Amino acid sequence: MTATLYLPGASGVHRLNPLTKLTLALVAVVAGATLETLTVTVAVFVFGLVPLAVWGRILRPFLRICVRVVWPFAISLFPIQGFFAQGTTVLFTLGPFSLKAEGLWIATLLTARLLVGLGAATLLMLTTRPDVLMHSLVRHGLPAQVSYIVVASLQIIPGFQARAQAILDAQRSRGLETEGNLLRRLRALVPLVSPLILGSLMDLEERAIALEARAFTRRGPKTSLTEIRDPAWERALRWLLLLIMAGLIVVRLT
Amino acid sequence: MIEVHGFSFTYAGTATPALRDVDLKVPKGQLCAIVGPNGAGKSTLCYALAGFVPHFFRGELKGQVRVGDRNVPDTPLPELSGEIGLVFQNPFNQITGARFTVLEEVAFGLENLGVPRAEILDRANEALRLTGLGSLGDRSPYALSGGQQQRLAIASMLAMRPRLLVLDEPTSQLDPAGTEALFTHLSDLVSSGSMTVVLTEHKLEWVATFAHRAVVLAAGQIVADGEPREVLASPAMEALGIRPTYYTQAARAAVASGLAPDGRGRPLPVTLEQAAEFLRWR
Repeated sequence: MTATLYLPGASGVHRLNPLTKLTLALVAVVAGATLETLTVTVAVFVFGLVPLAVWGRILRPFLRICVRVVWPFAISLFPIQGFFAQGTTVLFTLGPFSLKAEGLWIATLLTARLLVGLGAATLLMLTTRPDVLMHSLVRHGLPAQVSYIVVASLQIIPGFQARAQAILDAQRSRGLETEGNLLRRLRALVPLVSPLILGSLMDLEERAIALEARAFTRRGPKTSLTEIRDPAWERALRWLLLLIMAGLIVVRLT
Repeated sequence: MIEVHGFSFTYAGTATPALRDVDLKVPKGQLCAIVGPNGAGKSTLCYALAGFVPHFFRGELKGQVRVGDRNVPDTPLPELSGEIGLVFQNPFNQITGARFTVLEEVAFGLENLGVPRAEILDRANEALRLTGLGSLGDRSPYALSGGQQQRLAIASMLAMRPRLLVLDEPTSQLDPAGTEALFTHLSDLVSSGSMTVVLTEHKLEWVATFAHRAVVLAAGQIVADGEPREVLASPAMEALGIRPTYYTQAARAAVASGLAPDGRGRPLPVTLEQAAEFLRWR
């Protein structure tokens, strides 16, 4: 019912403060982007993210998502970089194009970087409830409205899809042809778009009323049902991770 | 508790007023039902009592709406929330989307009011229990049926314990058992003196059973106001587009055909119990 990847669990990773996991993910992304050698980038994935996935008992879904998302990029990166990147080590020539070893090396490094960045984000999303993460950020100064937009979108998108399907079914039951060539499919979109957008705008108006009725815009201190643990060692770990991140950026820039 | 005086409202972009010169006083601790055909202005009156007219829905306003010591049109909505609760018709859109479980959804309003965590848990669980959702606290609000979502919207407001609770057709998706449970609970709240309730409702039997008073709106004006049985069994209701209950129709037919000879001059029934008593009279 929600567009989230979160898998409930009671592992150590699940119990970590969401901000700690967010910082970990950010460090991994920065490491992936700044480390220049393939070996170190792959090491971040294999010796950093994979053990965390094992600790979070989500190794299988973690690897599945990583592979599913990375391979479409990889299969386009390799021919593009292989044929068009600068290089002198020609592996073979195909008409005016030549496949170069340097290009394949760049493609491998970019794929590894993508894997690290995506893996870090996947790890965070699989083990952290989005609303708890956003709530943590609100406690640290993120506007509640921004948090609401993110959390509500995750829940409302499936409803939006269901509404689109219901409208499409209703139009088909009235004889609208939605299958066939591209032109016919495009024509079928016209009677779908108008009720979908108008209906969604009306939904938004009512949801705004519901939020007002629940004192969402009320000023003053707010409390929370959700208890978020934040022990001293995690706060220290976050600072350490931020230092590592800053160090990586400095090393890369100098 | 509520004082509406000479209140008229015309939505922006329309020419016809949705409410015209409405006068209404509802004392504290009353369960007041607003009935009327579709388009009579019931929802607009609900929105006006809760402050959404004119703060949310803009338009031309005349007259006064006072709830307690507050002049509603002059009070910002955030100050009214928590004091005046509103449950409107569409339950799906009353799920805020801000929280992932039913319990958290009920707690959301309390969090915004700054209620301490321990109290949030107590109040949210109590509201869920009272609305029959006690076992569904861990579910996603979007995984509930329409009737359950309607009960969730009501629970969310009950947990906030407003002084005035306004409900716009709160039983539209509830089955008879759910409707009776809701009315019983509202009636208990009102009897305890902790809340004043104004609700719009098409199910006249329940209005006659539980409401202290029935106010009839038609074309934006109050056309009848009084004891529910007297108002709802009146022959004038049909002309206004309010269909009498089967019990009223049966009693009217019985009187016309001589099956209830003592019935003439006595108030017609609206509920089953009233009909049984009416037709038993010899």
